[in-house]
Amino acid sequence: MSGTAFARMIVNKYQEVEPKLLTDEKVDLVIPASLIRDVVHLIEESYPLIFPEIIMGLDLEDDKYEVIYIFWSRETNFLCQFRVLLEGATPVVDTISDIFPGMEWHERETCEMFGIDFKGHPDLRLLLLPDELEGKYPLRKRFKTDRSRLSESGLPQPKPRPPRGGDSQ
Amino acid sequence: MSPDILDEAVELWFGPQHVSAHGWATKLTLVGDYIVECDPNAGYFHRSAEKCLEFRTFKQGSLILERLCMLEAFLAEYPYLSAVEQIAGLEVPERAKIMRTIMMEACRIHSLQFWWGQFSAELGMFTMTLWPWIDREYFLDAFEELTGSRHAAAYGTPGGVKYDFTEKSVKVLEHAIAHMESQMPKFKDMILHNPSFKVRTKGIGQYDVKQGLKWGLSGPNIRACGTPMDLRQDVNDPNLAYDMVDWEVPTFHSEDHPGESDAFDRMVQRFLEIEASVKIIRQLLPLVPDGPIVDPKARAKSNRLPAGEAYGRIEGTRGLASVWLKTTDKAQSPYRAKIRGPCLNSYYSLKHLVPGSKFADFIVIFGSLDPYPGWWDR
Repeated sequence: MSGTAFARMIVNKYQEVEPKLLTDEKVDLVIPASLIRDVVHLIEESYPLIFPEIIMGLDLEDDKYEVIYIFWSRETNFLCQFRVLLEGATPVVDTISDIFPGMEWHERETCEMFGIDFKGHPDLRLLLLPDELEGKYPLRKRFKTDRSRLSESGLPQPKPRPPRGGDSQ
Repeated sequence: MSPDILDEAVELWFGPQHVSAHGWATKLTLVGDYIVECDPNAGYFHRSAEKCLEFRTFKQGSLILERLCMLEAFLAEYPYLSAVEQIAGLEVPERAKIMRTIMMEACRIHSLQFWWGQFSAELGMFTMTLWPWIDREYFLDAFEELTGSRHAAAYGTPGGVKYDFTEKSVKVLEHAIAHMESQMPKFKDMILHNPSFKVRTKGIGQYDVKQGLKWGLSGPNIRACGTPMDLRQDVNDPNLAYDMVDWEVPTFHSEDHPGESDAFDRMVQRFLEIEASVKIIRQLLPLVPDGPIVDPKARAKSNRLPAGEAYGRIEGTRGLASVWLKTTDKAQSPYRAKIRGPCLNSYYSLKHLVPGSKFADFIVIFGSLDPYPGWWDR
Protein backbone atom coordinates (compact mmCIF):
# COMPACT_ATOMS: atom_id res chain seq x y z
CA MET A 1 0.00 0.00 0.00
CA SER A 2 1.46 3.36 -0.99
CA GLY A 3 1.76 6.26 1.44
CA THR A 4 -1.13 8.23 -0.01
CA ALA A 5 -3.41 5.18 -0.02
CA PHE A 6 -2.60 4.53 3.63
CA ALA A 7 -3.24 8.17 4.58
CA ARG A 8 -6.57 8.16 2.70
CA MET A 9 -7.58 5.02 4.55
CA ILE A 10 -6.93 6.71 7.89
CA VAL A 11 -8.69 9.91 6.89
CA ASN A 12 -11.73 7.96 5.66
CA LYS A 13 -11.86 5.83 8.78
CA TYR A 14 -11.42 8.64 11.30
CA GLN A 15 -13.19 11.85 10.36
CA GLU A 16 -11.27 13.89 12.97
CA VAL A 17 -7.90 13.27 11.33
CA GLU A 18 -6.71 16.25 9.36
CA PRO A 19 -4.23 15.74 6.52
CA LYS A 20 -1.48 18.35 6.21
CA LEU A 21 0.59 16.85 3.44
CA LEU A 22 -0.17 13.90 1.16
CA THR A 23 2.50 12.74 -1.25
CA ASP A 24 3.88 9.32 -2.01
CA GLU A 25 7.16 10.15 -0.27
CA LYS A 26 5.80 11.87 2.80
CA VAL A 27 2.54 11.87 4.69
CA ASP A 28 1.78 14.36 7.44
CA LEU A 29 -1.38 13.92 9.51
CA VAL A 30 -2.75 15.81 12.51
CA ILE A 31 -4.34 13.28 14.83
CA PRO A 32 -6.45 13.84 17.96
CA ALA A 33 -4.77 12.58 21.13
CA SER A 34 -7.51 10.02 21.75
CA LEU A 35 -6.91 8.30 18.40
CA ILE A 36 -3.13 7.99 18.32
CA ARG A 37 -3.05 4.42 19.64
CA ASP A 38 -5.62 3.27 17.06
CA VAL A 39 -3.71 4.87 14.21
CA VAL A 40 -0.36 3.44 15.35
CA HIS A 41 -1.98 0.01 15.66
CA LEU A 42 -3.23 0.41 12.11
CA ILE A 43 0.18 1.33 10.71
CA GLU A 44 1.74 -1.61 12.52
CA GLU A 45 -0.80 -4.02 11.01
CA SER A 46 -0.52 -2.55 7.50
CA TYR A 47 3.29 -2.57 7.41
CA PRO A 48 4.82 -5.41 9.44
CA LEU A 49 8.35 -4.14 8.83
CA ILE A 50 7.74 -0.46 9.55
CA PHE A 51 10.59 1.33 11.23
CA PRO A 52 9.82 3.73 14.12
CA GLU A 53 12.22 6.66 13.91
CA ILE A 54 11.30 9.43 16.31
CA ILE A 55 8.93 10.56 19.00
CA MET A 56 9.61 14.15 19.91
CA GLY A 57 8.03 17.08 21.67
CA LEU A 58 7.62 20.59 20.35
CA ASP A 59 6.76 23.61 22.48
CA LEU A 60 4.52 26.02 20.57
CA GLU A 61 4.36 28.40 23.59
CA ASP A 62 1.25 29.53 25.50
CA ASP A 63 0.85 26.00 26.92
CA LYS A 64 0.47 24.42 23.50
CA TYR A 65 2.52 21.38 22.63
CA GLU A 66 2.92 19.03 19.75
CA VAL A 67 4.08 15.44 19.92
CA ILE A 68 5.49 14.28 16.60
CA TYR A 69 5.80 10.63 15.58
CA ILE A 70 7.84 9.63 12.55
CA PHE A 71 7.74 6.19 10.93
CA TRP A 72 9.48 5.01 7.81
CA SER A 73 8.31 2.19 5.59
CA ARG A 74 11.20 0.83 3.57
CA GLU A 75 9.16 -1.34 1.17
CA THR A 76 7.00 1.51 -0.10
CA ASN A 77 9.59 4.15 0.81
CA PHE A 78 7.47 6.74 2.51
CA LEU A 79 7.86 8.79 5.66
CA CYS A 80 4.85 8.95 7.89
CA GLN A 81 4.58 11.86 10.27
CA PHE A 82 1.82 12.10 12.87
CA ARG A 83 1.23 15.20 14.95
CA VAL A 84 -0.74 15.25 18.16
CA LEU A 85 -1.72 18.69 19.46
CA LEU A 86 -1.89 19.04 23.23
CA GLU A 87 -2.96 21.95 25.39
CA GLY A 88 -2.82 22.87 29.05
CA ALA A 89 -0.20 22.97 31.78
CA THR A 90 -0.04 19.18 32.15
CA PRO A 91 -0.42 17.67 28.69
CA VAL A 92 -1.20 13.94 28.52
CA VAL A 93 -1.13 11.49 25.62
CA ASP A 94 -1.36 7.70 25.46
CA THR A 95 1.85 5.71 25.23
CA ILE A 96 2.69 3.60 22.18
CA SER A 97 5.69 1.95 23.83
CA ASP A 98 3.82 -1.37 24.13
CA ILE A 99 3.29 -1.43 20.34
CA PHE A 100 6.82 -0.24 19.49
CA PRO A 101 9.08 -1.00 22.47
CA GLY A 102 11.90 0.99 20.85
CA MET A 103 9.92 4.16 21.43
CA GLU A 104 9.98 3.70 25.21
CA TRP A 105 13.04 5.88 25.70
CA HIS A 106 11.91 8.46 23.16
CA GLU A 107 8.75 8.93 25.22
CA ARG A 108 10.72 8.97 28.44
CA GLU A 109 12.94 11.71 27.07
CA THR A 110 9.98 13.74 25.79
CA CYS A 111 8.42 13.44 29.24
CA GLU A 112 11.44 14.76 31.13
CA MET A 113 12.24 17.49 28.61
CA PHE A 114 8.72 18.83 27.98
CA GLY A 115 6.62 17.59 30.89
CA ILE A 116 4.32 15.66 28.57
CA ASP A 117 2.88 12.67 30.40
CA PHE A 118 2.58 9.39 28.53
CA LYS A 119 -0.35 7.47 30.01
CA GLY A 120 0.40 3.77 30.46
CA HIS A 121 4.18 4.10 30.05
CA PRO A 122 5.96 1.45 32.14
CA ASP A 123 8.85 3.57 33.36
CA LEU A 124 8.88 7.38 33.33
CA ARG A 125 12.01 7.95 35.43
CA LEU A 126 14.44 10.65 34.33
CA LEU A 127 16.56 9.38 31.45
CA LEU A 128 19.19 11.99 30.70
CA LEU A 129 18.72 14.70 33.31
CA PRO A 130 20.30 14.61 36.76
CA ASP A 131 17.95 13.93 39.66
CA GLU A 132 19.00 17.11 41.46
CA LEU A 133 18.13 19.50 38.60
CA GLU A 134 15.95 22.32 39.88
CA GLY A 135 13.35 23.90 37.69
CA LYS A 136 11.71 21.64 35.21
CA TYR A 137 11.35 20.78 31.57
CA PRO A 138 14.52 22.17 29.98
CA LEU A 139 13.31 22.09 26.39
CA ARG A 140 10.23 24.20 27.08
CA LYS A 141 10.68 27.69 25.73
CA ARG A 142 10.06 29.32 29.10
CA PHE A 143 12.96 27.45 30.71
CA LYS A 144 15.60 30.09 31.25
CA THR A 145 19.22 29.34 30.46
CA ASP A 146 20.73 32.73 31.24
CA ARG A 147 22.69 33.91 34.28
CA SER A 148 19.52 34.31 36.39
CA ARG A 149 19.52 30.55 37.10
CA LEU A 150 23.17 30.31 37.99
CA SER A 151 22.58 30.11 41.75
CA GLU A 152 20.47 26.93 41.33
CA SER A 153 23.19 25.14 39.43
CA GLY A 154 25.66 25.21 42.31
CA LEU A 155 28.35 26.65 40.04
CA PRO A 156 30.43 29.51 41.43
CA GLN A 157 29.31 33.02 40.57
CA PRO A 158 31.52 34.62 37.92
CA LYS A 159 33.88 37.24 39.30
CA PRO A 160 32.95 40.83 38.42
CA ARG A 161 35.02 42.20 35.62
CA PRO A 162 37.92 44.44 36.64
CA PRO A 163 37.48 48.09 35.73
CA ARG A 164 38.90 49.28 32.48
CA GLY A 165 42.60 49.90 32.52
CA GLY A 166 43.20 47.32 35.24
CA ASP A 167 42.93 47.39 38.99
CA SER A 168 44.57 50.41 40.57
CA GLN A 169 45.60 48.52 43.74
CA MET B 1 11.31 -18.87 37.98
CA SER B 2 10.59 -19.63 41.61
CA PRO B 3 10.87 -16.74 44.05
CA ASP B 4 13.54 -18.62 46.08
CA ILE B 5 16.02 -18.22 43.26
CA LEU B 6 15.45 -14.48 43.17
CA ASP B 7 16.32 -14.33 46.89
CA GLU B 8 19.88 -15.11 45.94
CA ALA B 9 19.94 -12.50 43.17
CA VAL B 10 22.82 -10.06 43.18
CA GLU B 11 22.60 -6.54 41.82
CA LEU B 12 25.69 -5.49 39.97
CA TRP B 13 26.49 -2.17 38.35
CA PHE B 14 28.41 -2.50 35.11
CA GLY B 15 29.97 0.95 34.80
CA PRO B 16 30.37 3.88 34.91
CA GLN B 17 33.89 3.19 36.21
CA HIS B 18 34.42 -0.05 34.28
CA VAL B 19 37.01 0.31 31.53
CA SER B 20 34.66 -0.95 28.85
CA ALA B 21 31.89 1.36 30.03
CA HIS B 22 33.00 4.70 28.69
CA GLY B 23 30.13 6.92 29.72
CA TRP B 24 27.35 4.51 30.57
CA ALA B 25 26.22 2.27 33.41
CA THR B 26 23.92 -0.72 33.39
CA LYS B 27 22.35 -2.31 36.42
CA LEU B 28 22.39 -6.09 36.10
CA THR B 29 20.54 -8.54 38.32
CA LEU B 30 22.41 -11.81 38.47
CA VAL B 31 21.43 -15.26 39.66
CA GLY B 32 24.60 -17.28 39.74
CA ASP B 33 26.29 -16.60 36.43
CA TYR B 34 23.09 -15.68 34.60
CA ILE B 35 21.57 -12.27 34.05
CA VAL B 36 17.86 -12.14 34.86
CA GLU B 37 17.31 -8.42 34.52
CA CYS B 38 19.09 -5.63 32.71
CA ASP B 39 18.42 -1.96 33.32
CA PRO B 40 20.49 0.28 31.03
CA ASN B 41 21.05 3.77 32.40
CA ALA B 42 21.77 6.84 30.32
CA GLY B 43 22.69 10.42 31.06
CA TYR B 44 26.35 10.27 32.05
CA PHE B 45 27.34 12.05 28.87
CA HIS B 46 24.45 14.48 28.49
CA ARG B 47 25.46 17.86 27.10
CA SER B 48 21.99 19.14 26.14
CA ALA B 49 22.90 19.42 22.48
CA GLU B 50 19.30 20.07 21.43
CA LYS B 51 18.98 23.09 23.70
CA CYS B 52 22.44 24.34 22.67
CA LEU B 53 21.42 24.23 19.02
CA GLU B 54 18.63 26.70 19.72
CA PHE B 55 21.25 29.30 20.63
CA ARG B 56 23.68 28.70 17.77
CA THR B 57 23.56 29.95 14.20
CA PHE B 58 22.94 27.44 11.44
CA LYS B 59 26.61 27.38 10.51
CA GLN B 60 27.70 26.70 14.08
CA GLY B 61 25.12 23.97 14.59
CA SER B 62 26.90 21.28 12.65
CA LEU B 63 29.89 21.56 14.98
CA ILE B 64 27.71 20.46 17.90
CA LEU B 65 26.40 17.51 15.90
CA GLU B 66 29.93 16.45 15.12
CA ARG B 67 30.81 16.20 18.78
CA LEU B 68 27.98 13.77 19.47
CA CYS B 69 29.96 11.01 17.82
CA MET B 70 33.57 11.95 17.18
CA LEU B 71 34.20 8.64 15.42
CA GLU B 72 31.80 9.41 12.60
CA ALA B 73 32.14 13.19 12.61
CA PHE B 74 31.80 13.54 8.82
CA LEU B 75 28.55 11.58 8.89
CA ALA B 76 27.08 12.92 12.11
CA GLU B 77 27.00 16.53 10.95
CA TYR B 78 25.22 15.71 7.71
CA PRO B 79 21.56 15.35 8.86
CA TYR B 80 21.65 18.86 10.28
CA LEU B 81 23.26 20.29 7.16
CA SER B 82 20.75 18.45 5.01
CA ALA B 83 17.83 19.91 6.96
CA VAL B 84 19.28 23.42 6.70
CA GLU B 85 19.87 22.97 2.97
CA GLN B 86 16.29 21.84 2.47
CA ILE B 87 14.82 24.87 4.25
CA ALA B 88 17.23 27.39 2.75
CA GLY B 89 16.85 25.92 -0.74
CA LEU B 90 20.57 25.53 -1.35
CA GLU B 91 21.97 23.65 -4.31
CA VAL B 92 25.09 21.67 -3.61
CA PRO B 93 27.60 21.74 -6.50
CA GLU B 94 28.50 18.44 -8.13
CA ARG B 95 32.09 18.56 -6.89
CA ALA B 96 31.01 19.08 -3.29
CA LYS B 97 28.47 16.26 -3.52
CA ILE B 98 31.07 13.73 -4.56
CA MET B 99 33.73 14.98 -2.17
CA ARG B 100 31.26 14.83 0.69
CA THR B 101 30.31 11.27 -0.14
CA ILE B 102 33.94 10.17 -0.43
CA MET B 103 34.85 11.65 2.94
CA MET B 104 31.76 10.13 4.54
CA GLU B 105 32.72 6.68 3.36
CA ALA B 106 36.33 7.18 4.45
CA CYS B 107 35.00 8.20 7.85
CA ARG B 108 32.80 5.11 7.93
CA ILE B 109 35.82 2.87 7.34
CA HIS B 110 37.81 4.55 10.09
CA SER B 111 34.88 4.32 12.45
CA LEU B 112 34.37 0.63 11.73
CA GLN B 113 38.07 -0.02 12.24
CA PHE B 114 37.86 1.68 15.60
CA TRP B 115 34.91 -0.55 16.46
CA TRP B 116 36.98 -3.61 15.49
CA GLY B 117 39.66 -2.71 17.95
CA GLN B 118 37.21 -1.89 20.69
CA PHE B 119 35.21 -5.07 20.19
CA SER B 120 38.32 -7.27 20.25
CA ALA B 121 39.43 -5.61 23.47
CA GLU B 122 36.02 -6.33 24.95
CA LEU B 123 36.43 -9.96 23.93
CA GLY B 124 39.81 -9.94 25.66
CA MET B 125 41.95 -10.23 22.55
CA PHE B 126 44.23 -7.27 22.60
CA THR B 127 46.37 -8.18 19.59
CA MET B 128 43.43 -7.71 17.28
CA THR B 129 42.77 -4.37 18.98
CA LEU B 130 45.96 -2.81 17.78
CA TRP B 131 45.96 -4.04 14.19
CA PRO B 132 42.96 -2.09 12.92
CA TRP B 133 43.93 0.90 15.02
CA ILE B 134 47.28 1.05 13.23
CA ASP B 135 45.52 1.00 9.83
CA ARG B 136 43.06 3.60 11.03
CA GLU B 137 45.89 6.09 11.48
CA TYR B 138 46.26 6.31 7.71
CA PHE B 139 42.70 7.57 7.41
CA LEU B 140 43.26 10.07 10.18
CA ASP B 141 46.32 11.27 8.27
CA ALA B 142 44.11 11.77 5.22
CA PHE B 143 41.62 13.82 7.26
CA GLU B 144 44.47 15.86 8.67
CA GLU B 145 45.92 16.53 5.27
CA LEU B 146 42.54 17.66 3.94
CA THR B 147 41.14 19.66 6.87
CA GLY B 148 43.93 20.12 9.38
CA SER B 149 42.08 18.15 12.03
CA ARG B 150 42.15 14.46 12.76
CA HIS B 151 38.74 13.97 14.38
CA ALA B 152 36.13 16.72 14.46
CA ALA B 153 37.13 18.23 11.16
CA ALA B 154 34.16 20.57 10.57
CA TYR B 155 34.21 19.53 6.94
CA GLY B 156 30.64 20.23 5.91
CA THR B 157 28.95 23.58 5.71
CA PRO B 158 25.43 24.42 4.50
CA GLY B 159 25.57 24.22 0.72
CA GLY B 160 28.80 22.29 0.30
CA VAL B 161 32.13 21.58 1.98
CA LYS B 162 34.81 23.80 3.45
CA TYR B 163 38.07 22.31 2.25
CA ASP B 164 38.98 21.47 -1.32
CA PHE B 165 40.82 18.35 -2.40
CA THR B 166 44.46 18.94 -3.18
CA GLU B 167 46.76 16.61 -5.09
CA LYS B 168 48.47 15.62 -1.88
CA SER B 169 45.29 15.03 0.14
CA VAL B 170 43.90 12.73 -2.55
CA LYS B 171 47.21 10.87 -2.60
CA VAL B 172 47.15 10.33 1.16
CA LEU B 173 43.56 9.11 0.99
CA GLU B 174 44.36 6.72 -1.84
CA HIS B 175 47.28 5.41 0.15
CA ALA B 176 45.02 4.80 3.16
CA ILE B 177 42.55 2.85 1.04
CA ALA B 178 45.26 0.84 -0.70
CA HIS B 179 46.71 -0.07 2.69
CA MET B 180 43.25 -1.02 3.94
CA GLU B 181 42.75 -3.29 0.95
CA SER B 182 46.10 -4.97 1.50
CA GLN B 183 45.10 -5.74 5.09
CA MET B 184 41.64 -7.13 4.26
CA PRO B 185 42.66 -10.79 3.73
CA LYS B 186 44.37 -10.79 7.13
CA PHE B 187 41.25 -9.50 8.85
CA LYS B 188 38.98 -11.83 6.94
CA ASP B 189 41.05 -14.76 8.07
CA MET B 190 41.01 -13.50 11.61
CA ILE B 191 37.24 -13.09 11.71
CA LEU B 192 36.02 -16.13 9.84
CA HIS B 193 38.51 -18.74 10.97
CA ASN B 194 39.60 -17.74 14.44
CA PRO B 195 38.11 -20.26 16.88
CA SER B 196 38.25 -17.91 19.88
CA PHE B 197 36.20 -15.28 18.05
CA LYS B 198 33.66 -17.90 17.04
CA VAL B 199 33.27 -19.41 20.50
CA ARG B 200 32.73 -16.04 22.11
CA THR B 201 30.23 -14.70 19.56
CA LYS B 202 28.20 -17.51 17.94
CA GLY B 203 24.62 -17.78 19.18
CA ILE B 204 25.01 -14.78 21.48
CA GLY B 205 22.45 -11.97 21.49
CA GLN B 206 20.21 -13.34 18.79
CA TYR B 207 17.16 -11.53 17.40
CA ASP B 208 15.16 -11.57 14.17
CA VAL B 209 14.58 -8.66 11.85
CA LYS B 210 11.00 -7.97 12.93
CA GLN B 211 11.98 -7.79 16.58
CA GLY B 212 14.99 -5.64 15.75
CA LEU B 213 12.86 -3.11 13.87
CA LYS B 214 10.37 -2.98 16.76
CA TRP B 215 13.25 -2.04 19.05
CA GLY B 216 14.24 0.65 16.57
CA LEU B 217 17.52 -0.95 15.53
CA SER B 218 18.91 0.09 12.16
CA GLY B 219 22.03 0.04 10.04
CA PRO B 220 24.42 -2.93 10.28
CA ASN B 221 22.40 -4.42 13.13
CA ILE B 222 19.46 -4.96 10.76
CA ARG B 223 21.52 -5.71 7.66
CA ALA B 224 23.19 -8.55 9.56
CA CYS B 225 19.76 -10.25 9.55
CA GLY B 226 19.81 -10.30 5.75
CA THR B 227 17.53 -7.30 5.17
CA PRO B 228 19.14 -4.72 2.87
CA MET B 229 17.77 -1.70 4.73
CA ASP B 230 20.10 1.11 3.79
CA LEU B 231 19.26 4.78 3.30
CA ARG B 232 22.16 5.14 0.88
CA GLN B 233 20.25 3.08 -1.65
CA ASP B 234 16.62 3.23 -0.47
CA VAL B 235 16.31 7.01 -0.47
CA ASN B 236 17.78 9.08 -3.26
CA ASP B 237 19.35 12.05 -1.48
CA PRO B 238 19.97 14.77 -4.12
CA ASN B 239 22.82 16.25 -2.08
CA LEU B 240 24.88 13.05 -1.99
CA ALA B 241 26.43 11.02 -4.80
CA TYR B 242 25.45 7.44 -4.00
CA ASP B 243 23.32 7.20 -7.15
CA MET B 244 26.45 7.58 -9.31
CA VAL B 245 27.96 4.40 -7.93
CA ASP B 246 27.32 0.82 -8.89
CA TRP B 247 27.28 -1.07 -5.63
CA GLU B 248 25.22 -3.46 -3.59
CA VAL B 249 24.06 -3.03 -0.04
CA PRO B 250 26.19 -5.39 2.06
CA THR B 251 24.05 -7.93 3.86
CA PHE B 252 25.02 -11.03 5.74
CA HIS B 253 22.88 -14.14 5.29
CA SER B 254 23.40 -16.61 8.07
CA GLU B 255 23.08 -20.28 7.16
CA ASP B 256 22.32 -21.48 10.69
CA HIS B 257 19.49 -19.06 11.39
CA PRO B 258 18.16 -17.21 8.33
CA GLY B 259 16.47 -13.90 9.05
CA GLU B 260 18.17 -13.60 12.42
CA SER B 261 21.49 -12.28 13.58
CA ASP B 262 23.81 -13.06 16.46
CA ALA B 263 27.00 -11.34 17.57
CA PHE B 264 29.07 -13.28 15.04
CA ASP B 265 26.85 -12.18 12.14
CA ARG B 266 27.04 -8.58 13.19
CA MET B 267 30.81 -8.86 13.39
CA VAL B 268 31.07 -10.24 9.85
CA GLN B 269 28.54 -7.67 8.66
CA ARG B 270 30.79 -4.84 9.80
CA PHE B 271 33.60 -6.37 7.78
CA LEU B 272 31.37 -6.38 4.68
CA GLU B 273 30.54 -2.73 5.34
CA ILE B 274 34.21 -1.82 5.04
CA GLU B 275 34.43 -3.67 1.73
CA ALA B 276 31.39 -1.80 0.36
CA SER B 277 32.77 1.57 1.46
CA VAL B 278 36.10 0.87 -0.21
CA LYS B 279 34.21 0.01 -3.39
CA ILE B 280 32.25 3.27 -3.29
CA ILE B 281 35.33 5.44 -2.75
CA ARG B 282 37.26 3.67 -5.52
CA GLN B 283 34.45 4.43 -7.98
CA LEU B 284 33.88 8.02 -6.87
CA LEU B 285 37.48 9.28 -6.76
CA PRO B 286 37.94 9.50 -10.56
CA LEU B 287 34.51 11.15 -10.92
CA VAL B 288 35.33 14.34 -8.99
CA PRO B 289 34.72 17.17 -11.50
CA ASP B 290 36.13 20.68 -11.45
CA GLY B 291 34.02 23.47 -10.08
CA PRO B 292 33.04 25.28 -6.92
CA ILE B 293 32.87 23.40 -3.61
CA VAL B 294 30.06 25.41 -2.11
CA ASP B 295 26.84 26.99 -3.35
CA PRO B 296 27.78 30.63 -4.12
CA LYS B 297 24.57 31.80 -2.45
CA ALA B 298 25.16 29.72 0.69
CA ARG B 299 26.68 32.54 2.70
CA ALA B 300 23.70 34.83 2.24
CA LYS B 301 21.00 32.18 2.32
CA SER B 302 22.10 30.23 5.39
CA ASN B 303 22.44 33.27 7.61
CA ARG B 304 18.73 33.73 8.16
CA LEU B 305 16.37 30.97 7.12
CA PRO B 306 12.72 31.25 6.12
CA ALA B 307 10.09 29.57 8.30
CA GLY B 308 9.90 25.88 7.63
CA GLU B 309 10.30 22.31 8.76
CA ALA B 310 12.71 19.75 7.41
CA TYR B 311 13.92 16.30 8.21
CA GLY B 312 17.48 15.35 7.34
CA ARG B 313 18.68 11.76 7.50
CA ILE B 314 21.84 9.79 6.92
CA GLU B 315 22.86 6.15 7.04
CA GLY B 316 25.52 6.42 9.71
CA THR B 317 28.04 3.80 10.71
CA ARG B 318 25.88 2.75 13.61
CA GLY B 319 22.48 3.14 11.99
CA LEU B 320 20.01 5.77 10.94
CA ALA B 321 20.78 9.23 12.29
CA SER B 322 18.43 12.12 11.67
CA VAL B 323 17.63 15.69 12.62
CA TRP B 324 14.16 17.22 12.66
CA LEU B 325 14.44 20.98 12.28
CA LYS B 326 11.89 23.76 12.66
CA THR B 327 12.71 27.36 11.94
CA THR B 328 10.75 30.58 12.32
CA ASP B 329 10.92 33.33 9.72
CA LYS B 330 14.23 35.21 9.51
CA ALA B 331 15.57 33.55 12.63
CA GLN B 332 19.31 33.05 12.98
CA SER B 333 18.98 29.82 14.95
CA PRO B 334 16.56 26.87 14.98
CA TYR B 335 13.27 26.99 16.84
CA ARG B 336 13.63 23.32 17.63
CA ALA B 337 16.12 20.70 16.55
CA LYS B 338 15.54 17.09 17.49
CA ILE B 339 18.40 14.68 17.03
CA ARG B 340 17.85 10.97 16.54
CA GLY B 341 20.95 9.10 17.53
CA PRO B 342 20.90 5.51 16.27
CA CYS B 343 22.52 4.21 19.44
CA LEU B 344 19.67 5.31 21.71
CA ASN B 345 17.75 2.32 20.42
CA SER B 346 20.67 -0.11 20.32
CA TYR B 347 21.47 0.68 23.94
CA TYR B 348 17.81 0.41 24.93
CA SER B 349 17.48 -2.99 23.25
CA LEU B 350 19.92 -4.47 25.79
CA LYS B 351 16.99 -4.44 28.19
CA HIS B 352 15.30 -7.15 26.11
CA LEU B 353 18.33 -8.82 24.57
CA VAL B 354 20.49 -9.47 27.62
CA PRO B 355 18.27 -11.28 30.18
CA GLY B 356 18.89 -15.01 30.03
CA SER B 357 22.48 -14.80 28.90
CA LYS B 358 25.63 -15.34 30.91
CA PHE B 359 27.35 -12.44 32.60
CA ALA B 360 30.50 -12.89 30.50
CA ASP B 361 28.40 -12.52 27.33
CA PHE B 362 26.95 -9.18 28.36
CA ILE B 363 29.85 -7.14 27.02
CA VAL B 364 29.86 -9.20 23.81
CA ILE B 365 26.20 -8.35 23.16
CA PHE B 366 26.82 -4.73 24.02
CA GLY B 367 29.88 -4.49 21.79
CA SER B 368 28.28 -6.28 18.85
CA LEU B 369 25.53 -3.62 18.65
CA ASP B 370 28.18 -0.89 18.48
CA PRO B 371 26.55 1.70 20.71
CA TYR B 372 28.32 5.00 21.32
CA PRO B 373 27.23 7.00 24.40
CA GLY B 374 27.42 10.37 22.67
CA TRP B 375 24.60 9.34 20.37
CA TRP B 376 22.10 8.51 23.08
CA ASP B 377 23.00 11.14 25.65
CA ARG B 378 23.38 14.00 23.16
